[in-house]
Amino acid sequence: MKRRDFITKAAIAGSVLSLGISCKRKIESVVSDKNIPPSSEIPSFSKTITEPERKIPVFAETEVLVIGGGPAGVAAAIAASRAGAGTYLVERYNHLGGLWTGGLVLPLLSTHAVDKQNKRKQVIFGIGGEISDRLKKLGMSIHEINPVVDPEAAKYVLDEMIAEAGVNMLYHTWASNVIVDGNVIKGVIVENKSGRMAILSKVVIDCTGDGDIFYLAGEKYDMMNYHIGLVHRLGNIDRIKPDRAGVKKPDIGDPTPIPGVNWVNMNGKNDQNGTDIRTLSALQMEYRREIWEKVQQIKNTPGYEEVFLLDTASQLGVRMSRILDGEYKLTLEDTMTFKSFKDVIGISGAWTTMLYKGLAVKSDKRPLWQIPYRSLIPKKTDNLLVAGRCFCFERELVEDTRIIGTCLVTGHGAGAAAALAVKERELARNINAGNLKRLLVEQGAWLG
Amino acid sequence: MRFRFKSKEIRTLATITAAVLAIPAGWKSLTGFFTWMSPFIMLNSVFVLKSFVLLNLAGILILLLVFIKDRFFCRYLCPVGWCCDKISGMSPRQASTHKKIPPLGKWLALLSLGASAAGIPLLILLDPMSVFHSFFSAFSGNPGFMTIVSLAGFPVLLLVNIMFPDIWCSKLCPLGGLQKIAMEIKSGLSAFIIKKQRAENQYSPARRYFLTTGIGLIGGLALTKLVKPSGSGYFRPPASISPEIFNTLCIRCGNCIKACPSKIITHHSDPFDLLSWMTPEVNFNSGYCLEMCNLCSRVCPSGSITLFSPEAKKHIFMGSAEIIYPDCLLAKNSECDRCKAACRYDSITIEPSGELIQMKPVIKSEKCVGCGACAVICPARTIKMIPPDQG
Repeated sequence: MKRRDFITKAAIAGSVLSLGISCKRKIESVVSDKNIPPSSEIPSFSKTITEPERKIPVFAETEVLVIGGGPAGVAAAIAASRAGAGTYLVERYNHLGGLWTGGLVLPLLSTHAVDKQNKRKQVIFGIGGEISDRLKKLGMSIHEINPVVDPEAAKYVLDEMIAEAGVNMLYHTWASNVIVDGNVIKGVIVENKSGRMAILSKVVIDCTGDGDIFYLAGEKYDMMNYHIGLVHRLGNIDRIKPDRAGVKKPDIGDPTPIPGVNWVNMNGKNDQNGTDIRTLSALQMEYRREIWEKVQQIKNTPGYEEVFLLDTASQLGVRMSRILDGEYKLTLEDTMTFKSFKDVIGISGAWTTMLYKGLAVKSDKRPLWQIPYRSLIPKKTDNLLVAGRCFCFERELVEDTRIIGTCLVTGHGAGAAAALAVKERELARNINAGNLKRLLVEQGAWLG
Repeated sequence: MRFRFKSKEIRTLATITAAVLAIPAGWKSLTGFFTWMSPFIMLNSVFVLKSFVLLNLAGILILLLVFIKDRFFCRYLCPVGWCCDKISGMSPRQASTHKKIPPLGKWLALLSLGASAAGIPLLILLDPMSVFHSFFSAFSGNPGFMTIVSLAGFPVLLLVNIMFPDIWCSKLCPLGGLQKIAMEIKSGLSAFIIKKQRAENQYSPARRYFLTTGIGLIGGLALTKLVKPSGSGYFRPPASISPEIFNTLCIRCGNCIKACPSKIITHHSDPFDLLSWMTPEVNFNSGYCLEMCNLCSRVCPSGSITLFSPEAKKHIFMGSAEIIYPDCLLAKNSECDRCKAACRYDSITIEPSGELIQMKPVIKSEKCVGCGACAVICPARTIKMIPPDQG
């Protein structure tokens, strides 16, 4: 018996010992992955000169000055002018609509979303809705949800609406600096064929897309490098003789309201800095050459001989660049949970799938979302508002915030707010949210 | 007397708590906490894996308490025991009808623990906590008929108790058996310490215990050679141990299924792979494996899912993904880079496709852990998830 006792005890002791020796079980992260900062900072220039001080003419004194004539800028200018403020709109190219028209990014996305009753409906109204309706009446818009428009018709309609609203339009004019007194913006210095000049204004709205104005005013921002493309259009699509045996169909894009004309999107290179002029110039040339060669390939395809390159976009498709660090950062959670804001200035919709809390939410199931006025207000500078793709939001939201629909909504909100600030003789950040909402609803906006 | 009255109340409370925590209601780390308190599961797991996690202390603590108070778990905590008592009370038959059946519980426990040391926790599925929790897990997510039938161990057990009152607790339960052995060891030890002469003449089960454990050990060694999972791979939760051990070690409690915030874990039901029947399987129909989430590993009482820190997730390989290009929207010049935006591990890049003006997403397999985010976000549903190869 003694021997067995010994063996038993030894076995128990052994197992206890082995248990003690064996270590705690957990997989830990071994490699500490450091965040590598993005490498695409604009190279600093080693050689500089000092520009001599000079007197420049004051071209105009106004109440609301909108920089950038894209969807946001147009909506802002129309809203401000209709609300009774003297308004100037400055645009660097020869057309309104920005990337929507000149960039040939023709779809007006995120017009629809799901409401609390789980019903998908139109959410973008107001000036954006008006523009969309006028294009539809002209027969220059196809599809009910996320319509695709004709760019020339859109340029025409925007010009008409700007003129009807009584906005002072300055084409071919580039904003080159800000005039700031303390923390208050007093105007913008612009350049054009007539030279360098100042436009003084009570409120300035930055609708440049790249946030050039808040950048010049020294606001903080998040630089987002994204893919830059160049859209083109093809003609004679209706003359394609299809279904030739053994022919691989080339990609010819999507239809536009003009029969026989397609628009072809380009995603382009990823991780590009949209504020680096060398990048922009190089991409412009590279893309144009590629498009030309691509169209030659299409023409060489049997049945596609008559297809031709109608045009390449007059604006390079910079999707994202600077994002303002403003008073309120709109989050993905806000847009997924029907978050309601006291200072709501508009509601936008969704056009693509998003991941939220581990689940994929399809575009036709995604909720509508409110945009607060605070997300258009910079932290430091007074009487400067930011609308368009560079207002304050977190990057996860970028697909919804950078597109035409949302730009029209933020533009309308900023324009109305600017006019109200002028009328109430208040700093733009101090205006009454209730009055702003009332004005927006009067102007046809839908706030839920 | 007063104390005994209290123990009943405590057990009623424990039963309610256990049932509430077994319901899939977002209890996070507390999901199915009673599975941690079973010393039988704890010992099997520790013997198989030869390592332990902090929460195993719950089982160890209960085991120590069993030495202090006989059948501590049965007395104060066991929800299955509580239900069996209630059901047996309703039985028309007398408990004496099956008096001749020997108490099998402790032999089952010894067999299982012996086999565990050899790598197969033979009867871990008979643990009452496993039976109890797997029943609740059948109703989490989107259960099929087969799942509910397969996990109906608990109601079956209750039915048996109606026919043969008290048979489970007194005769069959391996957890109860384990506690009985503890009792015997305790009395043996006290006899040894006090050196009572009486111990010499007492009935000593040591020889039988020794043999049973040996049979378990040898059986376990033989079975590990025999038991091989089928070749068809599928996605298991992150940091799952090798399929050979997983299939036998997993107690099917469904804690991971209940805890998963993205609800991507379901019961595996492949009739050609019966060994892995009802083990957790990950599918990427509507959700993906969240970055910085380790809930499934935190609630796994058997250690089938190895505990990992959220930071380690980018090194934990679940499988891989493959983009099927003809349907890729980006490769058709549509506005899409959703897969790249969705990937939290920087494993997708947008690169020239070789065609003019065209780009395409490319998955760098060395960084891809197979979380499935790209597959669920893909509007064209053209990313295929590839499970890891099996042995």
